[in-house]
Amino acid sequence: MTSSRSLGQRMFAASTALAILVCAGFVVLFVATSSLQRATDRERRSKDVTVATLSLEKLVLDLDSAVRVYLGTRKQRLLAPWREARAKLPARERALKRLVRDDPEETRRVYRISSVIKAYQDDYAEPMIQLAQTIPALVRDPLVAAEGATRAEGLRRRFDGLLALESKRAAANAVAARREKRRALVVGVTGFGASMVLILLFGLYLTRAVARPIREVAGGATRLADGDLSARMSESGPGEVGTLTRAFNAMASSLEQSRNELEEQNERLRKSDQLKSELVSMVAHEFRTPLTSILGFTNVMRRRELDDYDRHQYLVIVEEQARRLAALIDDFLDVQRIEEGQLELKQEFLDVRELLRQEARAFAVQTNRHTLELDLPNEVLPVYADPSRLLQVVGNLISNAIKYSPEGGEVELHGARNGDTIYVGVRDHGVGIATELQDRIFTKFFRGDANARGISGTGLGLALARDIVEAHGGRMGFSSVLNRGSTFWVELPTAETADGALARKEH
Amino acid sequence: MRWKLEVLAALVLVVLLQMHTAGASIELKGPGTIRITERQLALDEVDVGIRGRSPGDLEIMRSSLYNTRITPKPIGHAELVCTYTGGRSRSCNGTYVLPRGKLVVSGQLLFRQFFQLAVVGGTGLYDNVRGTLTVTALGGKARQNLVLFRLVA
Repeated sequence: MTSSRSLGQRMFAASTALAILVCAGFVVLFVATSSLQRATDRERRSKDVTVATLSLEKLVLDLDSAVRVYLGTRKQRLLAPWREARAKLPARERALKRLVRDDPEETRRVYRISSVIKAYQDDYAEPMIQLAQTIPALVRDPLVAAEGATRAEGLRRRFDGLLALESKRAAANAVAARREKRRALVVGVTGFGASMVLILLFGLYLTRAVARPIREVAGGATRLADGDLSARMSESGPGEVGTLTRAFNAMASSLEQSRNELEEQNERLRKSDQLKSELVSMVAHEFRTPLTSILGFTNVMRRRELDDYDRHQYLVIVEEQARRLAALIDDFLDVQRIEEGQLELKQEFLDVRELLRQEARAFAVQTNRHTLELDLPNEVLPVYADPSRLLQVVGNLISNAIKYSPEGGEVELHGARNGDTIYVGVRDHGVGIATELQDRIFTKFFRGDANARGISGTGLGLALARDIVEAHGGRMGFSSVLNRGSTFWVELPTAETADGALARKEH
Repeated sequence: MRWKLEVLAALVLVVLLQMHTAGASIELKGPGTIRITERQLALDEVDVGIRGRSPGDLEIMRSSLYNTRITPKPIGHAELVCTYTGGRSRSCNGTYVLPRGKLVVSGQLLFRQFFQLAVVGGTGLYDNVRGTLTVTALGGKARQNLVLFRLVA
C-alpha cells in the first residue's frame, strides 16, 4: 500500500527528468547554433580571403604597371606608385597569410605567391630599374618586357589559382552554411516543439498525479458533506495522496458504520416505543378486566345485603382477579429484572418428572375440555435448577397449549433424557402458528393473532420462559403447523453437567 | 694507420654508391625552375680578324654557381663562349655544371647584364630537358648575376 513513491519524490523525479530533457534540447540547439555560427564564419572568412587576395593582386598589378611605365619612360617620378605599392605589400601579405593560416593548402599557395612577388621584385623589378639607369638601351630590349610579362603572368596564374581554390572553398562553405541553417532551423523547431510537448506532458503528469487525486478527494469530501456516506475513492494514488484517500475512506467507513449503528439504534428505539405503546394499551386492557370485576363485585357487596354464600363466592372472584393482577405485575417485574440482568436463580437438584406431574395435576383441575397426557421415563431426569422458575416455564407452556386449543383436546407432556440433556416437550393440537409469525414468537409483547382470536395474555410468557431456560444453560424451541397444533420444547443440561454449564455462563 | 685507410675507403665507397644510386634514380619529371646566382671568375676576350670589335671575335666567360640558401660554397660552375656576329650581337654556347647534371644553353646575347638563352639539353637529372635561361645582373653590374632556368621536361 505504501510502496509507491511519495508525491514529493515523484515531483522531484519528474522535474529532474524535465530539466534534463530540456537541457539536452538546449545542448542540441546550442550545437546546431554553433555549427551554424561556424558555417557563417567560414563563409565570411571566404569573402575576406577573396577580398584580401584581390587586394594583393591589385597591388601587384600596380607594382608591375609602375615598373613597365618606368622602364618605358625612365622618369623617376613615375616610380612613386611602385614605391608606394612596395611599401604596402608586406602588410597585405601578412593580412592574407593571417586569414588563410587555418588552411594548409591555401597557406602554401599564399606563401608561394609571396615568394614569387619577392622574386619579381628582387630578380626583375629592382635590377631592371637599376639597369634602366645605367644601360637605357637594355630595357628597350623586348626580352625585358617579355620577362616582366612572363613573371606577371605567373603571378596572375597563382592568384587565379588561389581565388579558384577559395571560390571552391566558398561554394562548399555556402552549401555547408545552408545545410547548417536548415539543420539549425529543424533542430530549433523540433527542440521548441519537443520542449512544448515535454512541458505539456509535465503539466499532464501533474494534473494526473496531483490535481486529479486531490480533486477526487475534494469531490468525495463534498459528497460526504452532502450526506453520501458511501462515497469512496481509489486508494491507488501516489504517496501522500494515497495516504489521504485511505484516511478519507477510513473516515467515511467509520462515519457510515456509525450512521448505520445509529439507524439501527433508532429503529430499535422506534420499535421499543411502539412496543411500549402496545404494552401500555395491553396493560390497560389486561388490568381493566380484573379491576372491573373487582370493582363490580365489591360495589355489589357494599350496596346489597348478601347472604354468606354469595358473599363468599364474590370474594373468591375478587381474590382470583387480584391474584391475576399480581401475576401480571410479577411478569412485568420479571421482564424488567431479566433485562437489567438481575434475575436471581435459587437452584437445587430436581427431578423433572416430579415437576411435570405437579404441573399436570394443577392444570388438569382447571380445564374440563382438555386432557393432559404425561409421557415420562422410569429413570430420573435430574436437573440443577430454580424450581419456581422452572415451574413458571412449564406452567407457561401448558397454559399456552390449553389457551391455544380452544376446541379442547389432548395436551401431551413429554420428558426424556437425551445424552447430556433433559428434554421437556409440550404438544397441543390447537390453532398452531402461521409460518410468517413464527420468527417473532419469542419477541416480548408479541401476540400474533391472539387478540383477534380473543385469547388473553401479555405476550411476555414465552419471552420470559426462554430467558429463564437460557439462564439455566439450556435452550428452547418449537415447531408448529397452522391449525394442527404446536410443540414447544426445552432442553436443559443434566444435573451432572449443569455445574459446567453454569460455570460457562458465569464466565 | 692502415685501419684509418680502410675506414676512409669504405666511406668513399658508400658515398659513391649513394651518388650513383641517386643519379640513376632521379630524373626531372616536369616543369620547374632553378634559381641560383653566379659570380664571374673570368672574362676573356679574343680579338680575331680586324683589330677591335668585329664579327668573329670571341668572348669567354667563366663563373662559379651558388645557391646561398643551401650553402655559401659554390655548387657548380659555368662556361659560356660567345662569338660576335655584328654590333653587340653575339652567338653563345655554354654549359652550366650543376650537382645533378649539366645544362647546355645556346642563343643570341646582346647585353651581358640581361640576356636569355635557350636550354637545349642536359645530362644527368636534366637529360633531354628544354627551357629558357634568363640571366640578370644584380646591382647593375655583370659580376654577380641571377641565373634562372625555366625548364620543361
